[in-house]
Amino acid sequence: MAVSLGKRKRREVSTVESEHGELDDCDARALFQRAFEAKFQPLEVTEKLPSAPETVLLGDGFDPDDEESVISDWGGLSDDEAQVEIVKHDAMDAAGHQLAKQEQKAFMSSKPPTATPHAPSVATQAASTSAEDEAETSNLKHDLALQRLLKESHLLDHSSTKNSAVVPEGKKTMPLAHRKGIKAKAAGRETARRKEAVENGVILEKVRTSAQPQKRRERGIGAPSIGKFRGGTLKLSSHDVKSIERSRLQGGSKGRRR
Amino acid sequence: MAATPTPTTLRFTGSKHLIQRLVLATLTGKPLRISQIRSVSHTSPGLAPHEVSFLRLLEALTNGSQIEFSYTGTTVLYKPGLITGSAAGHGAQGGVIRHEVPGVITSSTEAGDVSVDTVRTAILPVFKSFGIERDLELRILRRSNAGRDGKGGGGEVQLVFGHQVRLPRTVHLMSAGRVKRVRGVAYSTGVAGANNARLIEAARGVLNVVAPDTYIFSDVSAAPFVPAPTRENPAAKRKTGLGFGLSLVAETNTGALYSADVASPPAGGEPPEDLGRKCAFQLLEAIEQGGCVSSVAAPTLLMLMAMGSEDVGRVALGREVLGSEHVLQLARDLRTFGMSGWSLRDGDEEDSVVVSIVGKGVGNVGRKIT
Repeated sequence: MAVSLGKRKRREVSTVESEHGELDDCDARALFQRAFEAKFQPLEVTEKLPSAPETVLLGDGFDPDDEESVISDWGGLSDDEAQVEIVKHDAMDAAGHQLAKQEQKAFMSSKPPTATPHAPSVATQAASTSAEDEAETSNLKHDLALQRLLKESHLLDHSSTKNSAVVPEGKKTMPLAHRKGIKAKAAGRETARRKEAVENGVILEKVRTSAQPQKRRERGIGAPSIGKFRGGTLKLSSHDVKSIERSRLQGGSKGRRR
Repeated sequence: MAATPTPTTLRFTGSKHLIQRLVLATLTGKPLRISQIRSVSHTSPGLAPHEVSFLRLLEALTNGSQIEFSYTGTTVLYKPGLITGSAAGHGAQGGVIRHEVPGVITSSTEAGDVSVDTVRTAILPVFKSFGIERDLELRILRRSNAGRDGKGGGGEVQLVFGHQVRLPRTVHLMSAGRVKRVRGVAYSTGVAGANNARLIEAARGVLNVVAPDTYIFSDVSAAPFVPAPTRENPAAKRKTGLGFGLSLVAETNTGALYSADVASPPAGGEPPEDLGRKCAFQLLEAIEQGGCVSSVAAPTLLMLMAMGSEDVGRVALGREVLGSEHVLQLARDLRTFGMSGWSLRDGDEEDSVVVSIVGKGVGNVGRKIT
């Protein structure tokens, strides 16, 4: 390495020397041109001014073969010949090895490697045409409209209520507070939905009264099947009276309470 | 069951394409009989150990398979059963079938097999175009190159194929696109990791000029320590499967993949630089062949297309890929197994042929044959 460093130094010196002359020449030409253009009209310069040859070296690894080629290039320099700019990339680019950690992780995982996120977007951009775009936007609009309709109407309510009715947690034993909370939450959700529907002018399904079985009245042994027996008198509330009347109207067997 | 007519046994001869035929038989549920397997060989007639291992694997994956060998192993009769996959109660525990295959080699071999890395990075992505993309994994638990005499390693892999579809989707792969990046894995098993660096440098030296987006990852692992009992020491163990190798995959902008594989020969004697350069040239050759699928993944893709839904799928293949022996033989075998024929026409790109295949709707259902 030390040898090549020394060599390079020598070469640079020679380059700088020769560049001096070249630059002077350039400057002189530029000066002449400016003076000419000030006096007459601007020149049409199609041909580029011959510039100093540049040999850009990237990376540290510089091998002496290249140096020789550079020197041989130097020997063939002429003023009116456009010089080809040589850019040399080193195969061993130290920075290039340090790939982003996540890409390494993505590639070396056990899954088949997936494309980087920006790659598919390029592909879609290339593929999409204006007609497709139009179709896409209209589709999107329809989609949104459909979503809105489904959300605000009760087309799918029956199935949704069915789904919501299945609460596996309800079967399990859980603290009372939890169950209460779940019920309260469900009720709140339902009222919110109804409120929203009313605001949007959507007619929802009718509130179904809970089809819970009538609670058995707690009563002691020997107590009457209807009313309250207290202080030697059977007291019938208006509710009891109504129920008796109803049973008579509907017929005995149908109206039997239990 | 009694009403089902017994399908006629298909007859094949020779040891070539044996595994492909066994796979087709299993998928279509047709029994087959292969005779004259290496019958001219005096030293090792009949089925090779890896073929027997494959038959055992098929038996583990299916329920009710019948396999009969002749005395010398030159004839095998295979009646496929129902593919159970990892259904519980049929040899699978916890959704996993554990099946031990002796001497797994994870690297590429001189016989032309590809490495696990290539399978993972170049063949598994092929399933994506058929709508099979979730939960595909190939875990490399232990790497191993080929053993001392070129056979037998001590590797361990796990294949997870978690995405089950009823039928593979119809594919239309028409444009191969242009290569946008090259990725790769260099692996050293039981040897110095410097081999990886040398492989990578050599390969990049060739590829960087044409594909600047080239990255090759390095994987260094210890050699598997397998039991090797001798008479003096029954508990003896020795290291096996030492070596190194390189797997390269080029991806185009349309998602086509080309791959190349090189591993150190078991006898040694090839420097990593030569192998790296060889692998890079091999990759360039695969890219030159063109088409949407390389010759490595072509059989998988064509088989899936033939089994897929009853619709015309199209794929542009390179002329050389289509004309290779194993693809042609696959076409003939598919025909023998009752799949539809292929129609060919010239593709848009030069040296490419568009192959149209009508699927047969075999799908993901095993058929019990008694």
